[in-house]
Amino acid sequence: MSSQSPFIKTRKPGERIFCLLMVMGSVYLFWQSYAISGFSSFSSPGAFPLAASATMVLASCVTFLNTLKLPAAENVRFVYHCFPPIVAVIMALILIYSVVLESLGFVLSSFAFLFVSIQFLYRRSVLTTLTISLLALIVVYIIFRLIFQVVLPEGIVPEREILSSIKSLWS
Amino acid sequence: MKKTTIALLAALSLSSSLSFADYPTKDIQGIIQWGAGGSTDTVMRSITPHVEKELGTSIILTNKTGGVGAIATKFVDAKNADGYTLLMGAENPQMYKILGLSDIDYSDMIAINVLARGTPIIVANNDAPFNNMQELIDYTKAHPGEVKFGSTGPGGLTSIVTAMLDSQVKLDYISIPYNGDGPALTALQGGAIDVMPAVLGATIEQIKAGRMKAISLVDVESSKLLPDLAPITDTLPGMKSYLPWGPFFGVFVKKGTSDEAVEKLQAAFQKAAFNSDFVDLMQKRGFTIMNISGDEANYFLEAYRSTSSWLVHDAGFSKFSPEEFGIRKP
Amino acid sequence: MDALHYFAMSWLSPELLGLTALGTFLGIYVGAIPGLSVTMAVSILISFTFAWDVNYALCLMVGVYMGGVYGGSRTAILLNIPGAPSAIATALDGYPLAKKGLAGEAIGLSTVMSVVGGFVGIIVLALAAPTVSEFAITFQPRDYMMLGILGIMLVGSLSGGSLARGIFAGALGLLIGTVGLDPMTAEERFTFGVVELWDGINPVAVMIGMFGISEALHQLHHMNKAVIKQKISRVIPKWSDIKKYMPLSLQTSFIGVIVGALPGTGGDIAALMAYDHAKRVTKNPKVPFGEGAKEGLIAPEAANNAAVGGAYIPMLTLGIPGDAVTAVFIGALFIHGLNPGPLLLIEQPHMFWFTVGNLTLANIFVLIFGLTGIKLFSKIVECPKGILIPLIFLLSIVGAYAINNAITDIWWMLAFGVFGYFMRLYGFPVGPVILGVILSSLTDENWRRAILSERGSISDLFINLFHSPLSTVLFSVIVLILFTQSPLWTRWLKRKLFHETT
Repeated sequence: MSSQSPFIKTRKPGERIFCLLMVMGSVYLFWQSYAISGFSSFSSPGAFPLAASATMVLASCVTFLNTLKLPAAENVRFVYHCFPPIVAVIMALILIYSVVLESLGFVLSSFAFLFVSIQFLYRRSVLTTLTISLLALIVVYIIFRLIFQVVLPEGIVPEREILSSIKSLWS
Repeated sequence: MKKTTIALLAALSLSSSLSFADYPTKDIQGIIQWGAGGSTDTVMRSITPHVEKELGTSIILTNKTGGVGAIATKFVDAKNADGYTLLMGAENPQMYKILGLSDIDYSDMIAINVLARGTPIIVANNDAPFNNMQELIDYTKAHPGEVKFGSTGPGGLTSIVTAMLDSQVKLDYISIPYNGDGPALTALQGGAIDVMPAVLGATIEQIKAGRMKAISLVDVESSKLLPDLAPITDTLPGMKSYLPWGPFFGVFVKKGTSDEAVEKLQAAFQKAAFNSDFVDLMQKRGFTIMNISGDEANYFLEAYRSTSSWLVHDAGFSKFSPEEFGIRKP
Repeated sequence: MDALHYFAMSWLSPELLGLTALGTFLGIYVGAIPGLSVTMAVSILISFTFAWDVNYALCLMVGVYMGGVYGGSRTAILLNIPGAPSAIATALDGYPLAKKGLAGEAIGLSTVMSVVGGFVGIIVLALAAPTVSEFAITFQPRDYMMLGILGIMLVGSLSGGSLARGIFAGALGLLIGTVGLDPMTAEERFTFGVVELWDGINPVAVMIGMFGISEALHQLHHMNKAVIKQKISRVIPKWSDIKKYMPLSLQTSFIGVIVGALPGTGGDIAALMAYDHAKRVTKNPKVPFGEGAKEGLIAPEAANNAAVGGAYIPMLTLGIPGDAVTAVFIGALFIHGLNPGPLLLIEQPHMFWFTVGNLTLANIFVLIFGLTGIKLFSKIVECPKGILIPLIFLLSIVGAYAINNAITDIWWMLAFGVFGYFMRLYGFPVGPVILGVILSSLTDENWRRAILSERGSISDLFINLFHSPLSTVLFSVIVLILFTQSPLWTRWLKRKLFHETT
């Protein structure tokens, strides 16, 4: 226990704003909890959420007030240390991937995601990236779709038709 | 590799657009409204292998829980009406409209098969100071606000059976809700609740082992499984107007599915439900085999909807009146 | 003699032996892949083994169950993505160990202690099943409520730097756990009229997001840092280590059996409680908890495997499932023409000993498969980050989808991943969030049931609490922890002293 440093001595850029957002979020959730069933009874559906969100309001206020006392950390820039471009790019890639997942289908969108992100992060030849992405996709497809029968979004690829025709070739 | 895939695709799209004669041409997906291990899940998983044999294709079963089955119902309704997505569900959707849970119920779908129906039973903790229906009523009247009734939330079997009771005799009890009849029956054995209505199949083994006692069968006649247990109509003859009533399991497809696919599915399920393994299993679990489709199924579904909807409405926990949806009074 | 015969049945038949081995092997991978759950795997096996003899089917399923519970620790240690909720506590100290290059040793130790836990569970099942199950069903709603509160108090252990931030995170988790249609009244809570929210936010989605995605996003900061070379010289743990940690692992195994035997609580809660117990009884850990303490790795692993034997106790003696997996097992027994229930022990006594023998066998296979291939597994961490991170994202997304075949779960997982990224950035611990999600419904529902049983009177609840020895004990434990040992209290004291002296 003693070797842990339990006190945060400086604050990072954006920390104050984040804590303030947490306070505001907690107050909003408290209001939403109140809207469930008010203060009607201890056994009402809203009682537990009210207690939890009240705790959130209190704890977030304490945290926010603490950050007010802390001096800003030196030589730490938000764009460089907290939210570097690489994180933003990857977040955007994941977002695009999950948006098109249903319409394009699992196979196509996952392949595109793997290819682009590995190429972006690993920076080797296109062929290497292509091989890695394909291999990974095949393994995931076999485990999830074929063994565990998780019907992944098909999108524009008529997977079931292809599978059944492959099966009929077999027999 | 790519070329053959494309060729395959082309061939397939051609053949499927030419005729539907060879339904099913691919795997069928069966969406189960309830989670793994539940009674709907067990029933569907035990009939599916027999159906697969009849259809000559595999049915991939997927549990899609949530919103007392409304999420699965909505999911199937959003898919193409091609007979490749089946909804495997229980009775709950018949209450969706009046409870405001969804605007789709089974009347908006095509029934492939209503497989079986359960019989409700009222059971009690072994130490409860009553042994039959009359004693339960007398005791609850003598000790208002003391008897703890288990329940499984509004719209569930327990709420409808207690609504039936309330329509016959005014009782003052505490209702303690549980997350399904499994946990509630466990609590009953532990003494956290005194009495609750449940489905016969879920209680039969416990009753036989003497871990809980049967108070009354919510039906017009005794069951073969518990021949000594008096039906509730012996004590409350007024219940006759609602009975026989019970939760059911059925398989449905989206409206607009081609007649050909519907007929094939109906035939396959009907044959599968005659399978002796399946029949044995259902009887052992205390379910009455129905195995009906078409008009017969629609009539049954409508009767269930009208009885339950009006009961729930009269008991005061519906969001909308059954009249708004044209559900006739029983 | 009959008992021994049935016990040894799966050991002597080559087919049964092989199926148990296959099941255990598959189970380890099911457990290790987030989103694939043992419940799901066993359900699929029901259809798959439909036409088989019941013993064959059971061997495969028991193997999957035993292997699956253990397998969750793999990805927790290597990638900080618990393969299943029961491995959450394992990630807390297991992942820091892997970061130090000790993945092989961590997996080896967790394997051995899992097996120890597994055996404790099986022994209790074999020797005391009827007693334990009678005890388990006497738990009243108020007792479950107190168990939930006991769990929530763990927030103190998981808070890391700042207690206020930990409490905030824990309360947020509790609130996330209440989202959806209230199972008791069907009232909508935080659903904003969206049907997809009726069933709430899946804990596994929160878990994958908060642990896996947020960690992977943080890793992007250090793309240029060389990967940590894993020391793979030692996989089988030192005998002295095993001896040293044995008392702790036995203690937490017993926590695991009891929590596992309670209907409605399973390995996830058992593991978290065991972690807290370890933290409380270990006075001077070599390495602080949360930074790679071996105690913090052993305790949850022993407990969650012991919970398997525990979950079988009410299932085999009363026909009441101890957790979600045993519920599916009950369905499987029905389909195979058996009647799981209180009469099972009387009508089919061989089933009991067959299962006990089979569990023992599966546990031995966990040891064998667990200790082989560790070197290969540890290499995953050495995989270049540029490849590993995209793969983690892919696996997380597929895993989140697999939970309930819903795109919405992916959205939640990503939202919590991004939120978790910022929480970590600003010193908010993410452990308490997932703790809250897991304990939310247990506490909420049983609190309300307890109050309803007393007709809404809190004073009656208090008075009646002292009529039951069990409730009295639980209540005393809560009070005791809160006022003597809890970090909540000691840290607050320390903080006060600290502030006054500076």
